[in-house]
Amino acid sequence: MSQATVAIRPARGFVLPRFLTSEHPFPWLAPITAVLLIFGVYPLLYALWLSLHKRNPATRISIFDPEYNWLKILTDDRMWGAIGHTYLYTIVAIAIELVLGLLIALLLDTDRRGYGVLRALMTLPLVVPPAVTGMMFLLMMDGSFGVLSRGLYATGLLSPSTPILANSSTALTGILIADVWQWTPFMVLIMMAGLRALPKDPYEAAAIDGATPVQAFFKLTLPMLSKIIAIAVLIRGVDLFRTFDYVKVMTEGGPGTATETLTAYAGTIYFKNADFPYASTIALMTLILVVVTSSLFIKIFKVRF
Amino acid sequence: MSFKGFDKQTYIVDSAKAFGSRKISKREFMRRMGMAGIGFSAFSAGLLGNPYRRSLGKPAYAADITLPDDQVKFLKEVGGKYKGATVRYTSEATPPTVVLNQIKDQFTNLTGINVEVEIVPLEQVLAKATQDVQGQLGSYDLYYLDQAWVATFAPDCIDPIQYTKDKPDLAMPGFDWDDFSKPLVSGLAMYEGKMVGIPFDIPIFILMYRQDILEKHGIKVPTNYAEFTDAVHKITEAEKANNIFGTGLQAKSGHYSLECDWTQAVWGHGGSIFRADKTFSGNDEAAIKGLQWYQDLLKNAPAASTTSTWDGQFQMMAAGQCALVQSWDEFFPGLDADDSKVKGLWQPAKPLQSEAGLRPASEAGFGELPNLGHQGGSIMGLSQYSKNQEAAWIFMQWACSKEIMTQCTLAGGFAPMRLSSFADERVKAKAKVMPGTTRHLETVLWTIDNVMASEPDMPLWAGFANNEIPTELGKLTTGQDYGGDAKKCMDAIAAMIDSKNKEAGLL
Amino acid sequence: MQGPRFTRILRDITAVLVVGIFMFPIFWWGLTSIKPISAIFNKDEVVFFDFEPTLVNYQVVLFGKSRAELAIESGSTFGVGGGSTYDSRKTILDSTLVAVGSTALTVFLGVIAAYALSRINFRGRQAYLNWILSQRFMPPIAIIVPIVFMYHYAGLRDTITGLIFIHTLINLPIAVLLMKSFFDDVPVDVDEAAMLDGATRFQIFRKVILPLVTGGVAATAVLCFVFSWTEFLLSLFLTNQIRTLPVKISTFVTSTGSEWGFISALGTSAIVPSFIFILLVQKQLVRGLTLGSLKD
Repeated sequence: MSQATVAIRPARGFVLPRFLTSEHPFPWLAPITAVLLIFGVYPLLYALWLSLHKRNPATRISIFDPEYNWLKILTDDRMWGAIGHTYLYTIVAIAIELVLGLLIALLLDTDRRGYGVLRALMTLPLVVPPAVTGMMFLLMMDGSFGVLSRGLYATGLLSPSTPILANSSTALTGILIADVWQWTPFMVLIMMAGLRALPKDPYEAAAIDGATPVQAFFKLTLPMLSKIIAIAVLIRGVDLFRTFDYVKVMTEGGPGTATETLTAYAGTIYFKNADFPYASTIALMTLILVVVTSSLFIKIFKVRF
Repeated sequence: MSFKGFDKQTYIVDSAKAFGSRKISKREFMRRMGMAGIGFSAFSAGLLGNPYRRSLGKPAYAADITLPDDQVKFLKEVGGKYKGATVRYTSEATPPTVVLNQIKDQFTNLTGINVEVEIVPLEQVLAKATQDVQGQLGSYDLYYLDQAWVATFAPDCIDPIQYTKDKPDLAMPGFDWDDFSKPLVSGLAMYEGKMVGIPFDIPIFILMYRQDILEKHGIKVPTNYAEFTDAVHKITEAEKANNIFGTGLQAKSGHYSLECDWTQAVWGHGGSIFRADKTFSGNDEAAIKGLQWYQDLLKNAPAASTTSTWDGQFQMMAAGQCALVQSWDEFFPGLDADDSKVKGLWQPAKPLQSEAGLRPASEAGFGELPNLGHQGGSIMGLSQYSKNQEAAWIFMQWACSKEIMTQCTLAGGFAPMRLSSFADERVKAKAKVMPGTTRHLETVLWTIDNVMASEPDMPLWAGFANNEIPTELGKLTTGQDYGGDAKKCMDAIAAMIDSKNKEAGLL
Repeated sequence: MQGPRFTRILRDITAVLVVGIFMFPIFWWGLTSIKPISAIFNKDEVVFFDFEPTLVNYQVVLFGKSRAELAIESGSTFGVGGGSTYDSRKTILDSTLVAVGSTALTVFLGVIAAYALSRINFRGRQAYLNWILSQRFMPPIAIIVPIVFMYHYAGLRDTITGLIFIHTLINLPIAVLLMKSFFDDVPVDVDEAAMLDGATRFQIFRKVILPLVTGGVAATAVLCFVFSWTEFLLSLFLTNQIRTLPVKISTFVTSTGSEWGFISALGTSAIVPSFIFILLVQKQLVRGLTLGSLKD
């Protein structure tokens, strides 16, 4: 290492301070830190500052009242509903996407001819802008004209008198369908990456012992994939927790508040009631819940990046 | 879509007239005649099948717009001083704005002032404008203000009448303030004695009915709520097999459209939103009757009604799914579009009479005006925080001048703000079944002059109308809460609204 | 996994079926974009192929044809107005500039940071990495108001540069995570060998390691491109005249109805470039998305 340090000494005898040499992490990490501080941390502190104010919607004057919004949030029924919907949505979507993703990855991960094309096509949903995905499924789930709705009516799975997005007990499923469609392919890619990186030897040994493919899957594949599964769940989970576009476009949190997630609720307070301080409080509460939940997850499953 | 014989004839006649009055050049005239000659050629049908239901009449040709000479001179001389300035305007994608955006180049040609129109959906306009006034950023020079937000934004806008007095040099000649429909000015633009902006768009509730379906069942056009309800029931029952319902609604939970439908129902049953003492009265007897009537109506409308805004309601009407609708007049031009399945079948009629009688405005609070025709108009407001106020003001006058407003109506077929536009010969000439038709405007004018209703004017109304009221109503109509009990739902809303008003010091 | 013939065929059928189900919405979206409105909204039945296809939606959104021009071509001036608000050519340019710009910046910042995090030991390295990743936890809605005010005073509002920075912020965590896993795959022996030859860290990074991970850089870049290309909420609030594709599409919802024809046409077109890119780097993606889980 000392050799390397010597090597960058300019001939003129001028010596860079140690922390500016490429041996020190500072020059490598300074630019990204600057960007994150300016565009990430500063706005966050600003949002925190906002949340400590009480806004009068008639006079539009905000006064410093640090407890007001944070106490209000605890007694707000809609907030508790939104927390419930958010966890439900996140857990169900993660479970479906993970299982489907793993199964499809197993299905498509072969060198046989034609499967390359299938794998390529499978990534297509990923590139659709989520806001557009929302519109796409909104049109397909339209109670009168949607192709999906009519398909469900025809098979008797759904009654034409209660379209999927119009019913408070099925609307969340409607949004989940859009999410699962868009993000399962992402899981497929991750799982495929995991499968490809698995060592071959244990399988050969298992085959000699006469294990069936199913046994091999549960005894070998799954345990060896557990690490990547944990990371995938974490990354997707964080995104799911903040889902906004689908809810906004498809139901606006409705019917009633049946699909109102935390970010959707913050959006409503922000867009419609213009109560910036309270909207900030809800958004920060979301952040707190994400951090707490994911920290627990990281601890329990010992995730390391 | 076909260039039918009838259309072709009218087209030739129109063009000839335009040429006769030198509105189009000879070359243009010859070209149009040539087009009528080739008319409906094979290629046009297949490749260019016309998807525009909300057709914007004939294209706004530059040559068609003829401003009076003194206005041209004003724009060139006074407007010319601000050459190079850029006026920013944010608006919902309403027909007048869309047309304005298309013809704004003509303003730029005369004055050298650039105009940027930002067109976004309604709630995005609200969010962006709110942000702008909260930070007093001045990122927009002109605001599009829906009637529900006028009070909210009143302190941020400059009174145009006052501005005219303060800056006489900047007043456009021949602007004619008295030409604006009086009820629109008072019901839409005024808040506590201040004129917040100039009326710019006036969608209003009228009754629309499918003549063919009504005739088929021997139903006469309903004039009051009882007749309407009967007719709706009858049609739903009879036409079930054909997938046709008595009515179609814009009952999307949590959306402003549901709030509009609800206020119409409340007023129509003798109720009001606020009492004179400014407490919420949506939970009194009359209002509950209105809501219960609406709940019943939902059973006689396509199930998709509870997920539909005005967009979905229009689709139901255009697809022939419903027969009787009390809603926005501005659907009309689109219903008569060429590829519409119901072209010429919908007819306009006056809004329904209320058997319960109307609640007088003096018994309602916050400047609410209970009546039969819910208006959803908007105004164009000049921002206090604008850094280009003078240039923006000149543009605003141009956009609201007689000729431009009439052109907007001509191109879109929606209701104008100015009496002279209603009376304009070119507008009247389009009062027949055709895309961009103006045949509903007579009813609209009557409604504006006689039975126009306005929602309350208060700073919190934008929030109530877009969030609290339609969200709770959505819980009721979709069965998430309140077990179908209208009274319970309205009591909950009343508690919510009264406590918020109290907290804001309004009650 | 070469089972008997029957199992193989069963697997083929299942695979095609599954992919088919996932393809259906896009197929339907594409089909919608060439339908006349009356075929999208038909009260009696779903219209599959029984309609006269039209390219008019694409002509408007991609080729800037105005309704007036179309009117003249189709021989009818009725039912047709102008279409300048639907012309999306500038949108495509804006979107491309933002996506390319933010991708370049993200990859640049992410790669150098990831290299250091992979190779240089320092106190608090894990904590620092966690801090970077935690930036992804923030709901964009929390920072809209602050960012709008900040951008206003910094002159970044409604600029391409402003959007580039904010998209970079969103993408950095995932870029760092991905790139770090690519660097981790390269054995440390390589560095050490180079170091013995007297190379500095920087020289090793540029001349030795970077060439080994170009595939990973490409994969990271494509993911960043896709996320920037599809981002909606922040782009909406930080711009007035500059429009990215999802924002533009959202403006086709008007006061008198949604222009489903234009929405689906532009929606379908928006998919094409990112799909091509993602195809180009699929192999690398499948390698790289192990997300560092292979490390012991």
